[in-house]
Amino acid sequence: MLVTVRHILIIDDEDDIREVASLSLEAVAGWKVSTANSASQGIAVAPGLQPDAILMDVMMPGMDGPTAFRAMQQVASIAHIPVILLTAKVQAQDQRRFADLGVAAVLFKPFDPLQLAAQISKALGWPD
Amino acid sequence: MVISIPAPTAVVLLILLLIIGILVGVLVQTRRKSSELRVRLDAARQRQQEDERELTQRSALDTLKDEFVSTVSHELRTPLTSIRGALGLLSSGVFGNLDVKSQNLLRIALTNTDRLIRLINDLLDLERMDSGAAVLQMRRCSLPELVNQAMETMSALADAGQVKLLVSPGAKALMPNVFFDADPDRILQVLTNLFSNAIKFAPASSSVTFEVETPPDELIFRVVDQGRGIPEDQLESIFERFKQVDHPDARAIGGTGLGLAICRSIIQQHGGSIWAQRNVAKGASICIRLPRHQRTYDASVGGAYTASIEVPSIVAAPRPDTVLDTPILICDDNKAKRTLIVTQLRARGHCVLEAGSSDEAIEIAKNRPAQSPVRAILLDLQMSDMKRWEILKLLTRNGSTASIPVVCLSMGAEADDALQSPNALRPTSSPSLLSEDYLFAELSHALLSDRGPGRVLLVEDDLDLANVVLGGFAKTNVLVEHAATLYRAKVLCRERRPDLLILDLTLPDGDGFSLVEWLRSLPELASLPLIVYSGRELEEGDQSKLRLGPTKFLTKARVQSRDLELLVLTMVPQGRGNNKSDPEDRGGQQRSTGLPVS
Repeated sequence: MLVTVRHILIIDDEDDIREVASLSLEAVAGWKVSTANSASQGIAVAPGLQPDAILMDVMMPGMDGPTAFRAMQQVASIAHIPVILLTAKVQAQDQRRFADLGVAAVLFKPFDPLQLAAQISKALGWPD
Repeated sequence: MVISIPAPTAVVLLILLLIIGILVGVLVQTRRKSSELRVRLDAARQRQQEDERELTQRSALDTLKDEFVSTVSHELRTPLTSIRGALGLLSSGVFGNLDVKSQNLLRIALTNTDRLIRLINDLLDLERMDSGAAVLQMRRCSLPELVNQAMETMSALADAGQVKLLVSPGAKALMPNVFFDADPDRILQVLTNLFSNAIKFAPASSSVTFEVETPPDELIFRVVDQGRGIPEDQLESIFERFKQVDHPDARAIGGTGLGLAICRSIIQQHGGSIWAQRNVAKGASICIRLPRHQRTYDASVGGAYTASIEVPSIVAAPRPDTVLDTPILICDDNKAKRTLIVTQLRARGHCVLEAGSSDEAIEIAKNRPAQSPVRAILLDLQMSDMKRWEILKLLTRNGSTASIPVVCLSMGAEADDALQSPNALRPTSSPSLLSEDYLFAELSHALLSDRGPGRVLLVEDDLDLANVVLGGFAKTNVLVEHAATLYRAKVLCRERRPDLLILDLTLPDGDGFSLVEWLRSLPELASLPLIVYSGRELEEGDQSKLRLGPTKFLTKARVQSRDLELLVLTMVPQGRGNNKSDPEDRGGQQRSTGLPVS
């Protein structure tokens, strides 16, 4: 069976979460993962990496996820890359605010490490 | 010496004295009264100031609490994400198999982490509800839709416990026509909670049944289980926080002990009641009584970022007979957004079809059977689809689709770029949030508007230009009336509220600004959709003086009448060709489809 190896850029300021999320995607789905520990670092490396999708935390010191998303939309070389926000906020008004931004999807923390890749695929309409 | 005063003069003097006496008396009385009043007024002012201070303090407290809840939610979840993730990966065996003892320890850590996560979610929920921070988003809800959704969510749990989830035959017959005002997300939460409770405590191969009764203006439903029941003395206390029915495996079953407390809070917030009953034969029932109609509709609508837009109660009250076979078609290539809207529409009792492109949307609209046409199209203008602007024209050209109202979503900056036609049509660009309430208000306007052609009032003193514009609409389903003076415009607006106003700024007897000012002063006209069609580019300051409802600014020299026509078509409802609306609607307020712009 041919399995597509996806390349995901994870942007999160929490080292442990970056680690767990990377391992989830690498070990469970066999995907390739790059990481950045801040939004500005993420925006800096994304054009060169050209990942298939960006998984980004919402609350980060400095630039937060929504701001970073809007900034990415202004950069021609990465504006096409789907962005998935990962958030620990579950209140309905937050959820709706994120959905209104125009991101590809919003996933919630805590996530199930065994399901993370499947959730991303489903949100982006990628075949399993 | 005696001064003799003639008798008549004495009488006059006496009367005068008397009048002066009375006047003085009245004056004294008045002064006393007025000083009394002043004292009372001062006291009232003081009370008001105290009230205001208290209110400010309370709202500051509320804000603090909201922030606290939000922060706690984030701060607790972040470490839990790492813990849950690490444990999940270890126990999955992707990094090699573990011996049985380690596996068992990991399983314990994992189940308890999950329990902690649920507990935090439940606690935060309850906190927000009890503090009033959780505002209900009242909608017209369809009971069968909510029950099916809850049952679907719980089906895995039911299968695992070998429990059958049933709807009683009586409920099956009643339910299709049951609509009620409530916050659908919250009621869904109650239903899933009740089902999950019942399933957890139900013995294998028993069943959990959903029952409904519909007394006038009320709704009673019950979730009936065949478990071991609730002791008489605990029927009340199970709704308290952390009170579970005493029985040996209650803890092992893994509830947080907050589920029923949450249900009670939600139901009470809806003005209903919840109670537990022992069944005659076996097990227990949790019963809920809800009012079908909520009077506090408007007050409870609107959240942190939704503007104060009136959401008519019709929002999702499709006539029951038309719900099933006259769908709403949503056209959006963003699947996430589409799914969000579809879910919300379905929760409001609408039948929904989806299209990922303009072509698909037209295909679907054309091929609907005549007895169940598409009722309205929700079109996302932010699609990357080249034809998203063509769709309006294509729909109008086809006889069977010409009368479908179209609601356009978010005309933001992206849409402006897409609008670069040869003579660029330049609407004011301000990225607009797609507010849910706004969306449904617009949708309901569109659904209500199948009662005749849309009415546009053109206020223009240049007769040649007016004729060009009027000519452009000759073949459409839009009726354009013309006023060449400010006076005539006011008369026509008063006579009947137009669906859209096209306004030239210079008029022989005044200007557009004064017309807008006048319209703003009239509640029924203050939110008219407006296209300002002016000879010069307008400064932002001028633009802000000209905004009514959804407002667009066009510059004459830069716009062709074809573009104006297209814009108008997106802003007014297109009447149904074969007008079959009921007379009630016809007499009702004029409604229009607008663009959520600035």
